[in-house]
Amino acid sequence: MENKKVVFVLNEYNGHGGAQRVAAILSEEFIKDGHEVSILSINESKDEDSYFTNEIPVTVLHEDNYRAGLPKELSSNLKAFRLNTVMKEVIRRKQLEKRRKDVKKYFEQFGDSDVFVIVVQVWGMQWLEEVLYKKNIHIIGQSHESYAAGRFTKRYKNILKYYRQVSKFLLLTQKDEESFQNEGFQNTGMIYNPTPFRDQVDPEKLFSNKVLVSSGRLVEGKGFDVLIEAISLIKEELGEWKLHIYGDGPERESLENLIKILELEDHVFLKGQTNNIEESLKKSSIFVLTSKAEGLPMSLIEAHSCGLPCISTDCAPGIREIIIDYKTGYITPVDDAHLISRHILRLIQNPDVFNQFSKEAFQSSLKFDRSVIKKQWYELFEEVGGYKNDTINQ
Amino acid sequence: MTQLTNNQRPKLSVVVIAYNNELYIDEALESLYHQTLKDIEVVVVNDFSTDNTKELIDEYVKDKPNFKAIHLQENSGGCSVPRNTGIENSTGEYVMFLDGDDWYTVDACEKMVEAIERTGSDFVGGQVIRTNNYEIWYHKQIYSKEIINTNIREFSTLFYDSLSVNKIYQRSFLDKNNLRFPEGIHYEDIVFTGKAYFLADAISFIPEPIYYWRVVENAEDKSITNRRFEFDNFRNRIVAHRMFDEFLRGKGDGRYQNHKNNKFLRHDLKLYVNDYDEFDEEYKEQFHQLIHEYLHEVMDEYAFINLPERERIIYYLLYIDDREAFQDYISYLNGEETNQFRIKFEGGEYYFEASVSKPNSNKFLSISSLNIEAELTDIRIDSNMLSFTPYLSVPGINPQEVHFEWLLKNRQTGHALRSKNKQTVKLLLLNMEAGNYYLSLHMHHQGNIHRNVIKKQQLENFANEEVENSRFKLRLFVNHKNTFGLKVLPKKTKDKVKLFILKRKKQKKSQNLFDKEKISQLYSKLPLKSNWILFESHMGKQYSDSPRAIYEELVKSGRNYKYIWSLENPDQVDIPGPAIKVKRNSMKHFYYLVRSKFWVDNQGLAHLAPKRKDQVYLQTWHGTPLKKMGFDQKKRPDRNEIAKLKRQTDAWDYFVSPNAYSTKIFRRAFRYHGEILETGYPRNDLLLNTDENYSIEMKKRFDIPVDKKLILFAPTFRDWDENSYQKAISDIHVLSQKINEETVILLRLHYLLSSKISQTDLPKNVINLSEHEDIQDLYKISDILITDYSSVMFDFAILQRPIILYCYDLEQYQSRRGMYLELEQEGPGPLCTNLDEVIYYISNPAALESYKKQYEKFHEVFSSLEDGAATRRVINKVFDY
Repeated sequence: MENKKVVFVLNEYNGHGGAQRVAAILSEEFIKDGHEVSILSINESKDEDSYFTNEIPVTVLHEDNYRAGLPKELSSNLKAFRLNTVMKEVIRRKQLEKRRKDVKKYFEQFGDSDVFVIVVQVWGMQWLEEVLYKKNIHIIGQSHESYAAGRFTKRYKNILKYYRQVSKFLLLTQKDEESFQNEGFQNTGMIYNPTPFRDQVDPEKLFSNKVLVSSGRLVEGKGFDVLIEAISLIKEELGEWKLHIYGDGPERESLENLIKILELEDHVFLKGQTNNIEESLKKSSIFVLTSKAEGLPMSLIEAHSCGLPCISTDCAPGIREIIIDYKTGYITPVDDAHLISRHILRLIQNPDVFNQFSKEAFQSSLKFDRSVIKKQWYELFEEVGGYKNDTINQ
Repeated sequence: MTQLTNNQRPKLSVVVIAYNNELYIDEALESLYHQTLKDIEVVVVNDFSTDNTKELIDEYVKDKPNFKAIHLQENSGGCSVPRNTGIENSTGEYVMFLDGDDWYTVDACEKMVEAIERTGSDFVGGQVIRTNNYEIWYHKQIYSKEIINTNIREFSTLFYDSLSVNKIYQRSFLDKNNLRFPEGIHYEDIVFTGKAYFLADAISFIPEPIYYWRVVENAEDKSITNRRFEFDNFRNRIVAHRMFDEFLRGKGDGRYQNHKNNKFLRHDLKLYVNDYDEFDEEYKEQFHQLIHEYLHEVMDEYAFINLPERERIIYYLLYIDDREAFQDYISYLNGEETNQFRIKFEGGEYYFEASVSKPNSNKFLSISSLNIEAELTDIRIDSNMLSFTPYLSVPGINPQEVHFEWLLKNRQTGHALRSKNKQTVKLLLLNMEAGNYYLSLHMHHQGNIHRNVIKKQQLENFANEEVENSRFKLRLFVNHKNTFGLKVLPKKTKDKVKLFILKRKKQKKSQNLFDKEKISQLYSKLPLKSNWILFESHMGKQYSDSPRAIYEELVKSGRNYKYIWSLENPDQVDIPGPAIKVKRNSMKHFYYLVRSKFWVDNQGLAHLAPKRKDQVYLQTWHGTPLKKMGFDQKKRPDRNEIAKLKRQTDAWDYFVSPNAYSTKIFRRAFRYHGEILETGYPRNDLLLNTDENYSIEMKKRFDIPVDKKLILFAPTFRDWDENSYQKAISDIHVLSQKINEETVILLRLHYLLSSKISQTDLPKNVINLSEHEDIQDLYKISDILITDYSSVMFDFAILQRPIILYCYDLEQYQSRRGMYLELEQEGPGPLCTNLDEVIYYISNPAALESYKKQYEKFHEVFSSLEDGAATRRVINKVFDY
């Protein structure tokens, strides 16, 4: 395959969200195959490491660390004498105009050769307007959020505004793709996020760990309180089983209190941030996700990729594309602590079911394997580059 | 809940039916095993499953005396036989049904039993949640609020909810009417539920989630009801409807047939018509024949007159069995050419012409807007011209009768380019003005103009094209509404400014300058006042309770604070001392709220203003918990409730608790981990620190002779029943006749109800003191207390005077609210469920005396901390000087 030029556009290349991680995995794969990868980052975090390797050239758009706010209306604010707001908005517009020109200049380095631009987060698309009309620049816009979760956000409005004319609007799940097709988008496509690792662990070994595991930022939307609640309902039946929660965040203290109040100090442990997710998964048995809203939760994909059965709330359309209900795990309504607790028991009390689920879980994670996903990206490049007329089959 | 002996008839039987549900049957049964209502009998009927269902059921029911399995010896092919078998083999007073792949919410049975007992309805429905979208089945139409004792004859929407599984039935109702599921047919629910609706005198609905309906999408073998592509399926549905129709006629309820028809058309038939394109020829033939027959059996064409256009036309054509026109109409809907030109304009209206025209047919076939198909190909742009080749068709209309015009119009300036070209449309880009141009197609037909804006979907190929001339850049673009257009961007500054001003002119005027939000922001920037204290009691409704006690003690001790009381009606409340009164929710209130260092309150005010870093919030709370609160409620509070609660609990710095028992509950129910002052209630100091003179003074104030014996009657508010106070009034009339002349009853109703009665409605020996500010005064003078589920019993117990509990609706209260105490064993006095018992205890002091031990224990647990110094303990802890 001929050598391709790929540019990732990110809000902050050295942030530590799921978007950066996925982009890092893809860039690793692309570089391995000899393609040229570079990063265009709108802003950067001060003194933070990034997931990307050093060899990737990074260009930061706002080197002065200016951060654009949300667009505001000028006239109404002017009349209300909100001079501060008006000032900020004038600066924002001026900046946007200037930086759009910078972006245009940035892409001049590639001459007339084909460039595949992957806009990982919706926010970044507004700076690309000037290059939208260049024939050699092929823009692929992603949205990592589910249609349902994003429906009433600014991001959704930005999608309606900036994603109509891009070569490909890439969603993470089939359901989301359908939803946007119903909004009149004809440029949609779907590629799953790749899993950073995929390694089967012997189900019996996993079971013998006797650990339920969950991870995520400790914020309200992740529903860890519901999970702890569920554990308290089956405290008597747990035996040696424990729950480990990885991650940090503002809710930490209140969760600690909850554990004390429910007297679960011997069963529930807040383990803090982990640098090695794979290792923590392999030391566990079952992954439980009790979020209220998600896109395509990476944590479930990673858990399946190590052979962990998953129990998850039905918090995103993508859940059913990862977990096969009653085959690789269980899906429950959001906030239903009772049902979550019964599903946990179902797995910890039936080693045979656990083994079966574990095997199925690993199998079904194949569609998230790096090599599978990478191939789909190359097919997509062919398609938007105009080398191939037929569309890719998912 | 009371434990029942084995030979007693269970309250509720749940009939579970299973056929090849090996995946889900465990969950169905577990959801029953873990019900909050324990007095249940479960009968599982296995319809000769061929998978592992039988073994799983046997394994599960083993060791569970109230679970029973029945295995049918051959497959019945439907749901009716197993459900009927379940009914026959169960004994409960009430019956519910559960399918083997679904499950109940944790308190489904308790809620349903409570509702049917309370309403006395023949059956009661609860909410169904489908797992594909978690929406509630017919939520808006039926299940958004409680409906008590309605009837399908007055509420015809009920036809739409023909499920049988989300309901609880009186067994006597099923038996009396010999109501069973019709065997040998599918769609048994249409018949069973339909009959039930017409046999019942009264039906109720509760807005509570009861039943989870598992919807498995892309299932390899779809359940019976989803296999719509087999003709038998349609035939079966008609069979069920005919059975129901016949029942209606037989029962003399034929006059309700039109409501039933309406549901059949809007729901049942619509499903099949939507799938029509996928049927094969044989199916279509049979379908036309059967539906024509059936429609003529039970309705005429006027059944369609108020339906949406599409259904109205489709059903009418089915009704007159005009298959050519029907096929043409389907083609028209799909945007395909029709065999004949059927769209006609007559008398100012469009309609779809049937093959044989009848004088009245136009009104069934009228069309409001035309379906114009336009596709643009070969779109080109250069600096002089935008061109494209359109493919146009208007299904059903004779092309000779129409002509088209294209319009490219600047939305900012109104500048427009036009073209009437037929083949390739060429729009010359002359005299362009900066702004966004949009393309539309105008079709002229018999004097009418039909306008259509071109959307991106209508372009065969869209490419991001850009051209420029000396003044402008021209770009093809698509806006956020997916409308196709041409963006004209000025290059010169002069043009840019012009465009900017034009756009500005289009924007609307804004609101006035000084809004509330702005002022609030301003206030919050003012410094905190370390000697200001803001008080509030019961959301500003009263000057009372612990905040009052704390205020009065602070004033008495001569501390140098500025005191502010927030009140709903400041003019109607007298507050002794130096306090400033502010109207709750006024700007002034907000001003004090954000500037006072201290907040003292007994319910919640944290949602009124963001709490500042150095502010101190003393939450005194308003009583020892009796009914379950917060996270202790049977059902986990929902997201909004949790967020609201958290906002309050996060703001509390000190929380006053009257005893160790309450401390534990407050922590758990509120998930509160801050400081708790276990001091006793400041409000109760008054009871212990005042002497006999105070009581005499109070009695004088209320015009009560000093030597009378006083009974305080203080029932709580039942928020689910607006008229509960009438029960209290009627009780008090009875009581007033039974007491002796030396006794007077003091009536204390919830403050929300106090306005509903006047003294003139009451007997002479009853005095209504519901409006008196502080209930502590009433305790002080009363000799006996009669109450039910109120925390007044805890405060009154401090005085060590007798208490009678009058709980005529104990079970209902238990089920709706749940309580921390078993009143019968742990309460401070006799538990009476009717008025006669109450009267017995009033007139037999000796009988009342026999509860002394229980009373003392109660006092020991709940009020032993109260010693008259609680206020001082709280003040010492919270206030600095």
